[in-house]
Amino acid sequence: MQSGTQARKYRLQGAGLDLALPYLMLAPGLMIVLGVLVYPLLDGLKASTRTYRYGSPISDVGLQNYVHLWSDAQFLNSLWVTVKFVALSVSIEAVLGFALALFCLREFRGIRLLRTVLIIPMVITPVVVAIVFRLIYASDAGMLTALSEAMGGGAMQILGNPLNAFIGLVVLDVWEWTPLMFLILLAGLQSLPQEPFEAARVDGAGAWRVFADLTFPMMRPVLAVAIVLRTIDAFGTFDQVFVLTRGGPGEATRLVSIYGYDTAFKFQQTGYAAALFVTIGLVVLALAFSAIRLLRRIDAS
Amino acid sequence: MNARLARICVMTGVLAVVLLPIYWLVSTSFKSNREITQEGTLYPHVPTLDNYVRLFTEKQFGSYLTNSLVVTFFSVAIALVVGAMGAYAIARFRLPFAMDRKVGLFLLTLRIIPPVVILIPVYLLMLSLGLLDSWLGLIATYTAFNVTFCVWMMESFFREIPVDLEEAAMVDGDSRFGAFRRITLPLAAPGLAATAIFAVLVTFNEFLFALALTATPRAMTMPRGTATLIGRIDTDWASMAAAGVIGALPIVLFALLVQRHLVRGLTMGAVK
Amino acid sequence: MTHSSRSRFTRRSVIKGGFGLALATTALTALGLPMPARAAGKKVIIGAFADGGLTPFKQKIIPQAKEAGFDIEFLEDEYGVTLEKWFADAQSGAGQYDLYLLDDPWVPQFGAANVLEDLGAGGVDGADKDWIGSMIDMGYWPPQKGPRVKGFEDAKPTLICVPFVGDLQTLTYRNDVFTGGAPKTWDEVIAKGKEGVAAGKIKYPVVFRGVSGNPIVTSWYPVFLSFGGAFFDDKWNPIFNSAEGKASADFFVGTMKQNAPSGVVEFDQDQEGAAILGGDAGAIIQYSGNALKADDPAQAKVAGKLDFGVVPKQQLAIAQMGIFIAGVPKSAPNKANSIEFLKWYTSAATQAKLSEAGSIPVKRSAFGIAKPGNRLIPVALQQLDAGALPRPRTPDWAKVEELLGIELNKALQAGSGGGAALDTAAKQVKEYLTTAGYY
Repeated sequence: MQSGTQARKYRLQGAGLDLALPYLMLAPGLMIVLGVLVYPLLDGLKASTRTYRYGSPISDVGLQNYVHLWSDAQFLNSLWVTVKFVALSVSIEAVLGFALALFCLREFRGIRLLRTVLIIPMVITPVVVAIVFRLIYASDAGMLTALSEAMGGGAMQILGNPLNAFIGLVVLDVWEWTPLMFLILLAGLQSLPQEPFEAARVDGAGAWRVFADLTFPMMRPVLAVAIVLRTIDAFGTFDQVFVLTRGGPGEATRLVSIYGYDTAFKFQQTGYAAALFVTIGLVVLALAFSAIRLLRRIDAS
Repeated sequence: MNARLARICVMTGVLAVVLLPIYWLVSTSFKSNREITQEGTLYPHVPTLDNYVRLFTEKQFGSYLTNSLVVTFFSVAIALVVGAMGAYAIARFRLPFAMDRKVGLFLLTLRIIPPVVILIPVYLLMLSLGLLDSWLGLIATYTAFNVTFCVWMMESFFREIPVDLEEAAMVDGDSRFGAFRRITLPLAAPGLAATAIFAVLVTFNEFLFALALTATPRAMTMPRGTATLIGRIDTDWASMAAAGVIGALPIVLFALLVQRHLVRGLTMGAVK
Repeated sequence: MTHSSRSRFTRRSVIKGGFGLALATTALTALGLPMPARAAGKKVIIGAFADGGLTPFKQKIIPQAKEAGFDIEFLEDEYGVTLEKWFADAQSGAGQYDLYLLDDPWVPQFGAANVLEDLGAGGVDGADKDWIGSMIDMGYWPPQKGPRVKGFEDAKPTLICVPFVGDLQTLTYRNDVFTGGAPKTWDEVIAKGKEGVAAGKIKYPVVFRGVSGNPIVTSWYPVFLSFGGAFFDDKWNPIFNSAEGKASADFFVGTMKQNAPSGVVEFDQDQEGAAILGGDAGAIIQYSGNALKADDPAQAKVAGKLDFGVVPKQQLAIAQMGIFIAGVPKSAPNKANSIEFLKWYTSAATQAKLSEAGSIPVKRSAFGIAKPGNRLIPVALQQLDAGALPRPRTPDWAKVEELLGIELNKALQAGSGGGAALDTAAKQVKEYLTTAGYY
């Protein structure tokens, strides 16, 4: 995702150790990556064409696992839940983050405090974030219930109602990741050139015009990168759901990651789960690379 | 005047939204289970430290913390060393078959794939190597993830450092590796720091692989240990809240300490 | 030479930082790991999931085991991950545990994978008449009675697990609402419960778990059994959507929901526990872990008003039985200790102590002791004699339960269509078991 300026590079020259240097420097890292990531990835491809029973492979089934995915109602549902979750959370985060960044662009008292506090949600262990939100949503021990009872109401049902639980999960994600959006967009805003804005001020353009004609178009690449990064990340969301709802109630919050985990470890369908994950990996890669291509086009125009 | 009022309102609102959930976690951790489930108090009426004491006496939070520190330290340190060298190689050298560019793209691709995708095969690998539930298994896994990330980040730092400085050192008699070690690496120190901080955050907080790869306090990390208390059969809210506080405290303190570098590291990749 | 000074700074600080961290780590290891010098003894590493049902064992029996010369290391984890952890441990031969305290439906999976020690060969007497028969039966793979999964039709039943802590569902009810003793039928539960609501004594006649998956199936199961339903036929065809089964499901998602708290769809054990202990609900079918809290004034607002009884019947009064059952992995590092510990633990003498400590024992003689630890224990024996059934003995129970749980939960949300939900679930279960090679 780095653009433009190709730095000057050495050609390979000299003799002996110096000639081999780049390879020697690259080798340890590549070996670790090949051994711990790539080999398992290939192994996963192999596992995805097999059927496992009681933890051991019993037969080769070719692509049958992949075919079966598309008639598995639970998988399709989890895919749909994931898409809804990613689309909704990331767009809310982008809007909120952008608004906050614009708001904080001008230095004022208290801004440092605000920035410090905003770091907290995104550095807290995701498992703990989920614990925090379970403590908020729980119908017996939860903050919402306590507040509602303090005001004379009854228990609040969040994690039991499918819609509420899903919204609850989106709220968690927004709470956790809006700050990251905010920081990226703020850095982007701060790196914009000042001249166009000064010119606009001289011309007496209103705030909205400045935003629509200058800020937004100039911020589009940064915004796009931030959204792509968050989208990729959100697709792999696991920890928070595992602790908050474990996919329930029913299948309301069961993301593909959770369904895949259960398929592999709880139901011991190792091969089928491998096929599921390979499919997800391909989907995310396709998404990411088409987004990168799109970004290049924006960059070029 | 109006603008100032609006500013104060937004500030207060944001602070409340961010801090209220955290307040609730902390305040719950000082209550007894009876107070939590049956009295629904808004602050601990009878504050108790029992929940915390239990984590270290009945549960094994001491071990979890040790495991987390060891695993995080080694996987980040190894990845930094190995990653910085790899990044330098592809940032500085034109390799045959455009390998310098291809390796970068390859590592980026690995980084984009959600980790959960390779969970099962990594698990099977560690199982066959007998590395389940061990420091080594976790360190190997986290190091690999961190390497993809370190190379990707460090490459851009190295590119910004002018080649001329190294050439001058080489004219003065340094070997090529010597020039890297004595000139380029120190200049890239702020970048290294930002990369390290980011890697520490991600590694310390990692849960999925810790969940799959560890089973006992011998290797369970903090997030994994915390998850032994999320009980659905018998929810011990008080312990769960205290575990949340203890689980998050080290990393939040760390993040606040290195705030400045952290923000730069987080935003750098995206803005460039 | 600006860069050289910077270089020194960095290198030194990096080394210093690393050193500091290593030092801190060592210090923590020194502090954290060796808890007060371990009493030497026969080491046994027990894996368990966090559950109140094991509290008496932890508090009363483990200290006695230490006196008897065992060095017990007790490792707890979250219920939702223990099955896969232990299965992986046993299968890989990693040897992390000497003993698993399994949930009994997991026995078939371990049995089919052949990873547990033959305890009969180790000297545990499965034929001892003192065992509660229905409990020791669960320890055999393949099961001695009932249908067997493919590949095990002719295998000889082996004792791979022994019952550890007995547990089964019984009824907990409000004695100020059900004044004539435990309600005998479901109609009585609803009718008298409504009177109790009208009199302002309670808010809801019943409460149960509605969360999808294991919880809702667990709550529905005794109703299903009481209505006379059966889950599988001899060939593993799902028959839970029989007329009796459908009637039970309709009753569950209809009448029972209408007489339960409005949020029952999201209730798990905590919420149903709070409803009965906090005085809102009139009656509940629950496992003993929760029932035992009824007598604890610190946990129950209405302590003293709660009594125990046999589950209500429609045609029969059958409860679900779900026990802690202990298995020794073939890879256990301290296998001999572990089997010796099990023999000591399941002896009539230790079981009497367990009963005294308040847990439901697994030996009949231990029910009859002079001072059982709580008043639930004799009721549990009544329920065992009235009827208590384990869940079907198949390694695929987890998936079956999930498929059924999802459909039941949907029907519960809608408040109707229990019978139709069972039809859908039966079709899915049949499909799933077909791909798993059952027929």
